[in-house]
Amino acid sequence: MMKHPRCMLAGLILAAIILTFFKIPLASSQSLTLIATRLDGELPLGDPDSALWQKSTAIDVPLSAQTITIPYLNKTNVKTIKARALRNDRQLAILVEWSDATQDDTLVRVQDFRDAVAVQFPLITTVEPYICMGMAGVDVNIWQWKADWQADIAARQDMETAYPNMNVDFYPFAQTALPAPVDYTDPNYVTAYQAGNLFAQVHATPVENLIAGGFGTLTSLPIDNQLVQGYGVYANGQWRVIFARDLKTTLPDNAQFDPGKSYPLAFAAWDGANGERNGQKSVSQWISLNINKPVAAAQPAAARNSLLASIDTTQVVILAIVGTLLLVAVGASIAWKIETRGSK
Amino acid sequence: MKQWPIFWRWLTVAALLEWLIGRTLTRSAIFMPKTPFMISSYQVLGTVGQVAITMTSLLALISILWIAWQERRNITFALLLITSVACSLTFIFVLPDGWWPVIDRMLLVAISTVLLGRLWRAAGDRRRQLILTIPVLAVWLGALYHWLPALAQALQLPEVPALGRTLFNIGEILVAFTPIGLWLLLRPRERIRVYALATIPAILFSIMHLIAPALVSMLVIWSIGLTLYLPWPLYALSLWLGMLAISSALKRDEAIGWGLLLLLAAGYAPQVSTHVFISLSALWLMLAGQPVEQTKCTSSFQSQPQIHAVT
Repeated sequence: MMKHPRCMLAGLILAAIILTFFKIPLASSQSLTLIATRLDGELPLGDPDSALWQKSTAIDVPLSAQTITIPYLNKTNVKTIKARALRNDRQLAILVEWSDATQDDTLVRVQDFRDAVAVQFPLITTVEPYICMGMAGVDVNIWQWKADWQADIAARQDMETAYPNMNVDFYPFAQTALPAPVDYTDPNYVTAYQAGNLFAQVHATPVENLIAGGFGTLTSLPIDNQLVQGYGVYANGQWRVIFARDLKTTLPDNAQFDPGKSYPLAFAAWDGANGERNGQKSVSQWISLNINKPVAAAQPAAARNSLLASIDTTQVVILAIVGTLLLVAVGASIAWKIETRGSK
Repeated sequence: MKQWPIFWRWLTVAALLEWLIGRTLTRSAIFMPKTPFMISSYQVLGTVGQVAITMTSLLALISILWIAWQERRNITFALLLITSVACSLTFIFVLPDGWWPVIDRMLLVAISTVLLGRLWRAAGDRRRQLILTIPVLAVWLGALYHWLPALAQALQLPEVPALGRTLFNIGEILVAFTPIGLWLLLRPRERIRVYALATIPAILFSIMHLIAPALVSMLVIWSIGLTLYLPWPLYALSLWLGMLAISSALKRDEAIGWGLLLLLAAGYAPQVSTHVFISLSALWLMLAGQPVEQTKCTSSFQSQPQIHAVT
């Protein structure tokens, strides 16, 4: 075969095309991996200080300014975030921590911007799309926690939040002592609220669930698909934010998680004090999120089934073909070696 | 390279194509305007890049298995290589858990340690050994950088040791100095024209870095994994002398040139097993490609006399 290197090259190219067509990778990831440690009980969804978080090893994820598409900032403030992940049989929770000198959790004034953090998962897990909002054909599911939404849950913010000593002749929302006219509270006259606009609702969660498939395609999922829970707290110059969602959902456009599998994951963060909003943010590269399997000793049957389920028959067949090709190639190399030795 | 099997050249070409298309051109294409023609071109480029990475993966596996065969008398090293390939292929389909990632990454640390030890056990030109230590140590530090988080997770430590970032940064210094060292080793006597031509990539890098440092940093991280935290003139100098070293080595048909090209294509602290295998193959090639009088003393390379006889 080595006597005909062109044939061997053609064979290898053909093998590469077949493997590419069937989306069979030949390389495993060595990248930064966030392991979602499995717990038996409830996850500490509202307590970033819980000792349970220490069961998960934190990873430091470097971030850099998004400079791919305008508008962008060359200098963003969040350089690194620390992430941990836990899961039980039902839910996945991710704790993200980062330093921020200021707490920016109000958008009442036009000159204010919020602190925020987001995690992103591709909906097709066999490929890693572009880090910034995915790409055509490979949508990404984004969970964005917003500091102002978190503050709104505690107490809805309005003009008097920013200007507590404000005085106006007539402003029904500011004058809580006086009842507002019925037109202001009748949903039929609050059109955005009535139409189901997510931004006009009273926020049930500080996390917005979004989907994107490239620049300029970011879209909020409908209200009934806002499934991601969250909790964020600011203390000692540091934000600590928890994302939580069920591992599996039946609603479309949501990332799905199976135990024993690995998923690409990326982070983004915004520092409102630096005027960061929208595309002006810090982003990470793709890292791996490993949904930890159940402990084999505790559930041997489940672990075995999980292992078998994670192996796709087609992939095994293709791997066997590749293995054969490799053996042929190695055999050919040995033959070449022997031939070279013989000629001497 | 005439004395090596032809797949080494294919590997070099495929790895460079994969690096140029898959990790550099397609990613820089997203900075361009999105006309329908551009989108179509980009899709074609993306597909070619995907085929290139699969081809590179195939050839990287072949090269590692071929090295294992060459090293069959040094059975420990050969088994390390084969086990590493087996782990890599298995972990594509079965998610590594618990201690498995530690073992997988420990194998890479072990392989680069063996290469480092082999380099220093060999008698001969100490200057050459010192210079070749730079890339071997950089790969070793990159492997250690990936091993630490896996170890922390296996031990269920609450934090990854901060040492990892220090190791990475030291490794980046070594990467920057590798082409400079190889240039000093080869001392190419080229015409002024060659020196001038070799400055083109360095000048382009410098201009782009001065105009848009953040953009260049991101492209370089995507492309070869360097963070550019050192002063930019050092990278520019490294690029210039690296081009000269490659040009000179290729003219002399020295394995060092091919090794440097493969290291460039693999990138620093690679995140994909294919690129790890390419960097290990590159190091093996650079070390195995030493002149006969130096390698005769090393037991591990005596198993391939036919290769060195023609070196």
